[in-house]
Amino acid sequence: MLRRTRTTKKLAKRIDLQYFARPHSFRRWRFWLSVAVPVIALTWFIAQRAQGGQKVYSSGQLSHAHAVFTQQCTLCHVVQAGAFTAHVTDQACLTCHDAPIHHANQTFTPECAVCHVEHKGAMLLHATADAACTQCHADLRTHDGQPHYAAAISSFDKTHPEFAGLRSGKADPGTVRLNHYVHLQPNLTGPNNTRVQMTCEDCHRSVSTAASPYEAAEMHPAAATNATPRRPHDQAYLPPPEFAQHCAACHTLQFDKRFGNDQVPHDKPEGVHAFLMKRFGEYIAAHPAAVHEVERRDRQLPGKDSVVRVARNAAEWVKFHVDDAEWLLYAKTCKQCHTLKATSDPHPEVVKSNITARWLSHADFDHHAHRMMSCTSCHTRAPDSRETADVLLPGIPTCQQCHHPQGPAKEAAEGRCFECHQYHDWTKAKPTKGGFTIQQLRGDAKVPAPKE
Amino acid sequence: MLIDRTHRKWFVGSAVALAVATAVYIPYALRAPQGPRGGSALGLTYGIAGFLFMLFAGLLGLRKKFPVWRIGRAQSWMRGHLWFGLLSFPLILFHGGFHFGGTLTRMLMWLFVFVWVSGILGAALQHFMPRFQTAQLPMETIYEQIDRVRGQLAEEAGQLVEETCSALEGEVSRASERQRAMSASAGTQGGLTVASGLQANQQVSTQLRQFLDEEMRPYLERAGAHAMRLGQTTQAQKMFQQFRVLLPPELHSNLDDLENICEEKRQLDKQSRLHKILHGWLLVHIPLSYALLLLGAVHAVVALKF
Repeated sequence: MLRRTRTTKKLAKRIDLQYFARPHSFRRWRFWLSVAVPVIALTWFIAQRAQGGQKVYSSGQLSHAHAVFTQQCTLCHVVQAGAFTAHVTDQACLTCHDAPIHHANQTFTPECAVCHVEHKGAMLLHATADAACTQCHADLRTHDGQPHYAAAISSFDKTHPEFAGLRSGKADPGTVRLNHYVHLQPNLTGPNNTRVQMTCEDCHRSVSTAASPYEAAEMHPAAATNATPRRPHDQAYLPPPEFAQHCAACHTLQFDKRFGNDQVPHDKPEGVHAFLMKRFGEYIAAHPAAVHEVERRDRQLPGKDSVVRVARNAAEWVKFHVDDAEWLLYAKTCKQCHTLKATSDPHPEVVKSNITARWLSHADFDHHAHRMMSCTSCHTRAPDSRETADVLLPGIPTCQQCHHPQGPAKEAAEGRCFECHQYHDWTKAKPTKGGFTIQQLRGDAKVPAPKE
Repeated sequence: MLIDRTHRKWFVGSAVALAVATAVYIPYALRAPQGPRGGSALGLTYGIAGFLFMLFAGLLGLRKKFPVWRIGRAQSWMRGHLWFGLLSFPLILFHGGFHFGGTLTRMLMWLFVFVWVSGILGAALQHFMPRFQTAQLPMETIYEQIDRVRGQLAEEAGQLVEETCSALEGEVSRASERQRAMSASAGTQGGLTVASGLQANQQVSTQLRQFLDEEMRPYLERAGAHAMRLGQTTQAQKMFQQFRVLLPPELHSNLDDLENICEEKRQLDKQSRLHKILHGWLLVHIPLSYALLLLGAVHAVVALKF
């Protein structure tokens, strides 16, 4: 039988009444760790501070563009004399970036850092969140009280309006008669009477890509493009087709059988007239006997009387033949594509072709980035278009098939506003003058405090 | 600390505060042009609130140093520590927009994660283990006195063994007198039997002393010593059972006491292990908390500057 008993009295006698006054090893450990760990933490912080300067304070990695300045916080965090804080102000950004505002009549101009948030990792600063745009565009207000654009756009996938060119009543303002349907038919008569099957790329190609198969090397027309690409990417936009490069091989401009395959230049009527005068003048100078030759037209010119005119001298001969050649050109050859307007002058006026080089005037588009797709996958109406007035621009739903505001997170292409739109009106940008040295930018030298 | 119904007000209050903070955070996070940021007005609010809660939680240590201060009941401080500390973590996450940020803030967040998780673990341990200990360790004592009690047990065991051996040897001397008397009256036959009994008792006494010196005292004096045979209940029972066979029944109570001493030692070892578990988390929680508060203060000053 157990004789040991555990009475309170017995148990109390076991205990050293002063035990709490002597620290137990567990308490000692707790105390020393409580001292050591903060000291280690502080030492770590001081070491980081000594090693990397103010970098230790950074709330995150800098963007791609600014990563090189990581060691020099004061480039952006400018400390004003006598002030404790060193918040980034617009002035610090504007030192390097002269970024003009969006519109003169905008009611609210956010600070640079509101849209371009730094210390968010190695990202692109221009990749702003949609909220940066929709804070105004979701309920657009302007100084004059009349938004000239869609007033409620909250996201690309839901409330983005259709492109302006596709809204009701809009037509292609171009005046050159072009029938896409006909041009894409098989067995068209091509250069040198060969049979060809044209493709979109034959006429629509970027300036940097290879020459068109329908280019006529001898033609040198004046450049007729109104394209003003915002991005310096020479393949982003497809310039309007040009006669010399894309048309001349099939659409020849012969003017008289005496000159074989010689063609008039693709120029203004005055230029064409001067050319004809010169060529016929040269001909009659070389063949003076031809003045009195009576020649019958081998075919009736439409709208032209069939009376055979006999020249009395070389000048008259030249006049008659230039007259006939121009009649042929303006009644048939030029008219096939161009709109001609009668004027009080002897020559008609060729209405400006007015080919729209850039349909999205408020957005950027990059054909090069979409080069993996067939043209007709987006421009679905092009193969059946018969009228110049047809607007063949793909609509927003076409874009939305691939682009989504959440982009890669939705296994989609980028669809945030910045993908197509720019906030800053760079046409109003002024050049900035850099004042930093490499040592200052890299953190090896101090940046002088701004002057008051 | 038992987390029971008495915590209901704290729980409800914390849940409401968290719900409000979340309700404010979600639209803020969705509408902020570049996502939630610690430097925004709301981000700063979350940061300040979270840091104040952390600071309050950290003041518990100070409050314990001065128990006589009349600044609220210790129990209230403990509950405040638990619930404010719990709430501070989501607030700080809202403050940083669930990003760990740069070098200093990343360090702070990891410190906070360890502090918070160790705190939750500690609270869970404090909730469950004391009851478990009470049920499992009826012989528990004050943790800091375990070493001292262990020495007392060894001393007590020595006394018991000495008492038992003395009893055995006392019997031997009485038997010797009997033997002499019997030899004189009845010849030598009975004397042989008594002589062999005397020899056996002498052997048991020696064995018991040997057992004390080689098994029991080392076991009682060493902390832990689970690997020793007396550290295993079943093996200890077998050893004592062998002595029961050898010892006369009137000395069995001494053996019971010795066995009980070994059982107490086993319980003290177990208490020691459980205590390390029950309080070991504090060796992580407290030092890291101080480091967190220190670097948190640095972060607060730096954040205001930049």
